[in-house]
Amino acid sequence: MRKQSPIIGIIFWTLVSFLTLFPIYWLFVISVKPAVQLFSTPDIWVSDPFWGNYAKVWGDRLLRSYMLNSIIISTGNAVLCTTLGFFACYALSRFNMSGKESIFFWTITNRMAPPAVFLLPLFLLMTQVYTLGEWKLLDTRIGMILVYCTFNLPFAIWTLRPTVDGIPKELDEAAYVDGASSWKVITEVVFPLCRPGLAVTLILTWVFAWNEYLLAATLTNFNARTLTTGLSEYVTTTGTEWGIMATISVFTLIPALIVFGMVQRHIVAGLTFGAVKG
Amino acid sequence: MRIISLMGASALALAAGTVIAFAGGHAEFWKKAAEPFQGVTIRGVTESSPPSLYIREVLAPEFEALTGIRVDVETTSWDQMFDKGIKDMEAGTGIYDMVYIEQDIIYSYLARDFLTNLSGFLADNPELQAPTYDEANFTTFADYFKDDDGNLYGVPMEAFLKVYLYRKDLFADPDIQAAFKAKAGRDLVPATTHAEYAEIAQFFTDYGQENDLKLWGTTAQAHTGHVASWYEYFESVAPTFGVYNWGIDAGNNFSASTANGGTMNGPEAVAAMEWWLSMRDIAPPEAPASTWTEVGTTFGAGRAAQGLVYGENAGWIAADETKSLVVGKVGVALPPLADGVMAAAESGDGYIGYYDGGAFGMPHSSKNKAATALFLQYIGQNEVQPDWAVAAPRVTNTATYDDPKVVAFNEELGGYYDLIKDKGYLFAGAPAYPFHAQVREATAPIFYQILLGDLSPQDGLDQMAAAAEATLSELGYRQ
Amino acid sequence: MQSKRLGWILLAPTLAILFLFGVVPFFYVVYVSFHSWNPFAVNPEMIFNGADNFRQIVFDQAFLNSVGVTVMFVFFAVVSELILGYFLAQAFMRDFPGKAIFRTIHTLPLIMAPIIVGSVWKLMTTPSIGIIPHYLDEWFGITMNIGTSVPAAFATIVIMDIWHWTPLVTLTLIAALVSLPPDPFEQAQIDGAGKRQIFWHITLPMIAPAVVATVFIRLMDALRTVDEVWMLTGGGPGSATRFVGVHIFKEVFPKTNYGYGSTISVIVLYLTIVTCWLLYVTMLAPRNKRD
Repeated sequence: MRKQSPIIGIIFWTLVSFLTLFPIYWLFVISVKPAVQLFSTPDIWVSDPFWGNYAKVWGDRLLRSYMLNSIIISTGNAVLCTTLGFFACYALSRFNMSGKESIFFWTITNRMAPPAVFLLPLFLLMTQVYTLGEWKLLDTRIGMILVYCTFNLPFAIWTLRPTVDGIPKELDEAAYVDGASSWKVITEVVFPLCRPGLAVTLILTWVFAWNEYLLAATLTNFNARTLTTGLSEYVTTTGTEWGIMATISVFTLIPALIVFGMVQRHIVAGLTFGAVKG
Repeated sequence: MRIISLMGASALALAAGTVIAFAGGHAEFWKKAAEPFQGVTIRGVTESSPPSLYIREVLAPEFEALTGIRVDVETTSWDQMFDKGIKDMEAGTGIYDMVYIEQDIIYSYLARDFLTNLSGFLADNPELQAPTYDEANFTTFADYFKDDDGNLYGVPMEAFLKVYLYRKDLFADPDIQAAFKAKAGRDLVPATTHAEYAEIAQFFTDYGQENDLKLWGTTAQAHTGHVASWYEYFESVAPTFGVYNWGIDAGNNFSASTANGGTMNGPEAVAAMEWWLSMRDIAPPEAPASTWTEVGTTFGAGRAAQGLVYGENAGWIAADETKSLVVGKVGVALPPLADGVMAAAESGDGYIGYYDGGAFGMPHSSKNKAATALFLQYIGQNEVQPDWAVAAPRVTNTATYDDPKVVAFNEELGGYYDLIKDKGYLFAGAPAYPFHAQVREATAPIFYQILLGDLSPQDGLDQMAAAAEATLSELGYRQ
Repeated sequence: MQSKRLGWILLAPTLAILFLFGVVPFFYVVYVSFHSWNPFAVNPEMIFNGADNFRQIVFDQAFLNSVGVTVMFVFFAVVSELILGYFLAQAFMRDFPGKAIFRTIHTLPLIMAPIIVGSVWKLMTTPSIGIIPHYLDEWFGITMNIGTSVPAAFATIVIMDIWHWTPLVTLTLIAALVSLPPDPFEQAQIDGAGKRQIFWHITLPMIAPAVVATVFIRLMDALRTVDEVWMLTGGGPGSATRFVGVHIFKEVFPKTNYGYGSTISVIVLYLTIVTCWLLYVTMLAPRNKRD
């Protein structure tokens, strides 16, 4: 590519970064403003930060349990979807099954469903059908992990397919010639080679699960409530507690940031969906 | 005394956790009655509001310490709260032992027989009847939760008036008074008619502009995509022009249009709409994006000189320094009225504004009815009311008005409690319609078009009346 | 090749989960869509009414309007995201100091929950008090009121969506650009092809599958958008941002119109699937086969 002065790049990206960061910065500004200042003239800079909201949110035992639920549900769901998605992609990629392309397309249709109307059947199923004696799937972490598969599993399959397709079949065959079992081929030959793709799938499904609101709001009550549903508790008749909401939001960003940071370098290498094969 | 905000409540709960101060006496009764229910957890769902949070953070732990019955209260947003309660009761799942019943949804729930008759339940189970609980203790607001035979279906826990708030400090400012007198030829006092209100509003909006202040003459809950605006019009503005019950005549085949005998698109309704829109136009610029939340915040930020504000907000606006800039500067009055409306309200034929609130009811699907009945009685006792009324300004029991704490708080609130006590009977809750949300949602999109100016008030109200009638026919109420 | 049985075993858990939580609810929704059912009607039971709901939907102005605004929204948002995403991805192909940091910053919006995005944009755009209308007024004398101005509200939603999702497009396009073989470009330059010609005849066809796949994911997510819009405008002003997701939400949540709401959902799902399927078979599937 053409050589260019690095200064232009830096200036350009500083500008873009400013636009990208501003809403996030503003979230932070709201979180350190006392409620009484919120409806006065906005100031871009915070001169006298107010940490009261942070103390309140940190000290709230309910929010801590929501945070734990969120972490367990998103991580469980991301690991489940990535693993199952990988197996599914291996099957679709390596086996000559009839109708497999139709199955591949069908999986993604599960992500297209408008969520609002599916809440009623899901509620009924999870309270009346998917039960074990007294135990119900509703309001459980495992229930949410499974429900989130409806949008994350198709995504995982669609993101991983090109990656798995891109691993030359000759490698599998060579391993079989050496006497390896199918399980060994899948887990020890193909799986490691897909690592960048798996990392990206893991992080994106994790983020989608972490951020989901509507399903969690309806299908959890006490035991499995997540941080995003905790946010809605601060939309009250007597004024939305924007400061607290913003503070919780900042708290929800931190784990996401950490997870994102960990796999940042894999992201580009792994996000090859639909990309041409070299 | 200060209002505790949402999170303040949890601090209070911590304090309550260390020293359980049980207000009611008769501890023996509670312990004995609760004996069979040790280890039981009862669960409720409610809207996240200060009174509900007080239950979650203060009353529930107190009750658990006293009786050994655990109470979990799920607080969530307004629309989620309805949906979750309805889904549970509709399917008969039994997730919730208590549901929050807003006054406007009780008729839908009663029509579907979702709720347990509390009066009957306690009569059938005398061993559960607490000596400190009596339905007669409640204010008349409890009547909204009774059936035709006087049986109670919910223990009231919130009751508010939508009142006319004004800025005492501005109304009492001698310079402003003089300027107003010069302009209007009369003294600056809270308005009693729509014309006066409009004149004062215009005066303050001009005053704000001339002096480069962030001040306008009125608030308006006029969101163009949220039902808050629909509610302000039908609950708080139309009745002051003599249009009651949304202009639907329940006794006349649920007619809404004037052609069929309703009043939704009658001349009074049109006049109310035109007046309200003209107020919206001189309200702060955020009015068309304001729900009840933003109206409270606008007033609390000192951006409006007067306005119709939900009583839930009157408390923190008048007394909470962490959220409001106008603490101690707020006066309350009755809404401005058209001729004849006061007389109609006095005689019981009409009303002058919205009496809002909610109760806790017990769904039929509950699996812990006895334990729940104990808790519902617990929160209905006179003894727990005063602290609750100070923490979250609501009064549901008559005796609460006379408590010294509440009397003192009343002063801070500019006499708001006096207004509820003395004038509460002039206000009314939502009409007794089991199709509340359905007709609201059917007409709201047309209503927003009026707000946007896409439809004239007359055309819009005509269309709304037609839409309401169509929906009522569809649902089978209108023949 | 190995036995097909292993393939089915590997697929089985995926199929089972999607069946239990996707297909079964779907059949329920289809079943309900042939009924009139509102639990707060005089008759609260489900009443079979044949294809009445489907007949009604064809003339339902509110529904058609919501489809219209949704299509507009998806078009503006996704096209802008593609163009912006492509240019940003191209910019990332050059080397400059701090590239890794800038790339990390650029991906940050992705990790924010839609409901939070909606809240913060609402606060930034509250008429007169939000920072954006405030400075637009102070610096340029422009009045922006998302409560009264349809274009302002619509544009805000589109810009919010662009802000939130362009990073995903950028990332996928970077991945596509990185994997391009250099030879065709060198050859084209030797042959004296212009920049524009190279883009249209070499770059675009080669990254087309990535572009289509991105459009695909963005399209179906944009069609389901509810949370952000719900927080920001509630569907207003009027019905200007009442996208199908929001429309269905209002129909089945507050209005409890389960029967008709299900019909709308079935139709919307059907339209989405058909659109995506057309995209898939024309753009993606042939390539997958050829490989």
